[in-house]
Amino acid sequence: MLSRHSPEASAPLSPRGLSVARFLDGGGIWPAVPALVYLLVFMVAPIATLLTFGFVDIDRGTVGEGGFTLSHMVGVLSDPLVWRLTWRSFWIAVVSTSLTLIFAYPVAYAYGHLRGAARTLLLVAVMSPLLTSALVRTYAWIVILGGRRGLVNQTLLTLGLIERPLDILNTSTAVLIGMTQIHLPFMILPLLAVLSERDRSFEQASLNLGASQTVTFFRVTVPMSMPAIVAGFALVFAVSYTNFIVPQLLGGGNYSTIAVQVYEQTIVVLDWSRGAALATLLLSSCFVFVFAIVAAGNWLTRWSEVRR
Amino acid sequence: MNQLIIDGVTKQFGALKVLQSCDLTVERGSVVTLLGPSGCGKTTLLRSIAGFVTPDAGRIRVKGQDISRLPPNRRDVGYVFQNYALFPHLTCRDNIAYGLVVRRVPKAEIARRVSQALDLIALAAFADRYPKQLSGGQQQRVAIARALVLEPQVLLLDEPFNALDAQLRLSMQVELRKLIDRVGITSIFVTHDQQEAMALSDRVAIMRGGRIEQIGSPLEIYDRPRSCFVADFIGRANLMPTQVRAGRTEGPQAIAAALPDGPATLVARPENIDLTPGSGPGWPGKVTFLTALGPVIEYEVDCGFSVPVRAALPRHAGVETFEPGALVTARIRDEAAAVVLPGEPNHA
Repeated sequence: MLSRHSPEASAPLSPRGLSVARFLDGGGIWPAVPALVYLLVFMVAPIATLLTFGFVDIDRGTVGEGGFTLSHMVGVLSDPLVWRLTWRSFWIAVVSTSLTLIFAYPVAYAYGHLRGAARTLLLVAVMSPLLTSALVRTYAWIVILGGRRGLVNQTLLTLGLIERPLDILNTSTAVLIGMTQIHLPFMILPLLAVLSERDRSFEQASLNLGASQTVTFFRVTVPMSMPAIVAGFALVFAVSYTNFIVPQLLGGGNYSTIAVQVYEQTIVVLDWSRGAALATLLLSSCFVFVFAIVAAGNWLTRWSEVRR
Repeated sequence: MNQLIIDGVTKQFGALKVLQSCDLTVERGSVVTLLGPSGCGKTTLLRSIAGFVTPDAGRIRVKGQDISRLPPNRRDVGYVFQNYALFPHLTCRDNIAYGLVVRRVPKAEIARRVSQALDLIALAAFADRYPKQLSGGQQQRVAIARALVLEPQVLLLDEPFNALDAQLRLSMQVELRKLIDRVGITSIFVTHDQQEAMALSDRVAIMRGGRIEQIGSPLEIYDRPRSCFVADFIGRANLMPTQVRAGRTEGPQAIAAALPDGPATLVARPENIDLTPGSGPGWPGKVTFLTALGPVIEYEVDCGFSVPVRAALPRHAGVETFEPGALVTARIRDEAAAVVLPGEPNHA
């Protein structure tokens, strides 16, 4: 038998030739280097800088005399309001993400059953909200939900279904509605990719074995799409948990979350140190929750990781 | 007793007639293979029995009951998919139990029947593995056990050996036939591999263009093909043009044919062709190519027909061998084994 390594291939290359070849052949981490450098300079470094503000005193935009201090962090962590708002952020994110999943799944499922123009139309409908900024979409919800002249109230009043306008805007319901709609594409897209490409023979096998369409959906289709569900859930949870625009605008200033607090301390109160300490809490707790979601997801999809 | 009767099943996808009035009767406990080239409608016919395809016309009866209008989950027919379609998120045991679980069979009975099924396929040691952790052959056995555990009236198998490599294929074919005999289940295979069809089935239905061309035992079809297509598709055949005059073929060998006068095709298997050196009674020709297959040497002889005549000569001592270029005479060894079909040769 011939050796797998021909003499030519094992001959030493010049150092220059080696690194260029490695780079182009996709050896190791080399191809990722440009992206890594970019992220280090423009994301990791600024975030790290901002977070360090939480561990020093800042006086009128310059770092104070005292040097390293834990006082801001201790102040944040010992404040019961901060914990209440963290808890609220967590719940609003969990509920909104769950609603997103419930609304997104049928859309992604339907996409797999559509053909031709209807399919393209649905994809465009899913993607089009991403063309406008989240801020604009949030303002749109104010118009829809707000006051007597809002779209919802006017319609319901005209139809005579209600006698006086509903107070939806400036409540947690408004925050939930807005957050769910705005994050819907982030849930639909990963589900769409998996559900539209799925092999129908698994569902046919289930029918053949005597299961109804409904049983097949819950016992085969949903479990088999679990990797996409977990991916979408982690993604939407992270953006919901840290979103401050929607609670700020649709909550009408009296619905605060931990993310809103970061914004207010930094921009309104101008207490950068407290803002940075809160941001540290927001970021680290977000990491903890996302890791928990991914860990739970890995357990639920342990079948997809097995090897022979 | 007839377990399955297919009666005039017709299906059209757009302008394409996939099934054209197919009739098939399958006896209880027998194994039938639907054999044909791709696109002949064999898988569509199998899928209509399972209910994944709704025929435009015709009836499908299982044990006398018309199942043509039943949804697939109420048909009581097992189906083994080409890719096995084992649920990747369920273990081997849970895959086999699936049909029993959705039927709400009591837990103790499920456990008993599943372990019986696992013993049947000799995979009890692999019960708690996921499908991905099994070899292709093991996956196939799980897929069959998953269907058999429900004790269906008919077992349908869509090219079950396609996903296996050639080595494994042969031994699995024998294993599967033994398993089917042990369980005694009426089975219908779909395949495009004629060797597989011959090895597995009691009867073979040759399909072409949405029609069933011929049904019979493997040897019946091999020995007495009713069309050039069947002759060419099952095994290899020499299709030689000839003319029938007064009940006999014209040419060097006059063979009896119960056909009206006119153009005809003489069908002879390569092993039924003998070659002798030089000229003599028979078709004179020149060896153009030879393939040493091991037990036989196959010669291609140019006898002036549009395709060369193939002759497979055994390698006994005393059987002459020929080199390309040699001038030979081809003869039909056993005239009774030759078949005369009406019309000109029609190569598939």
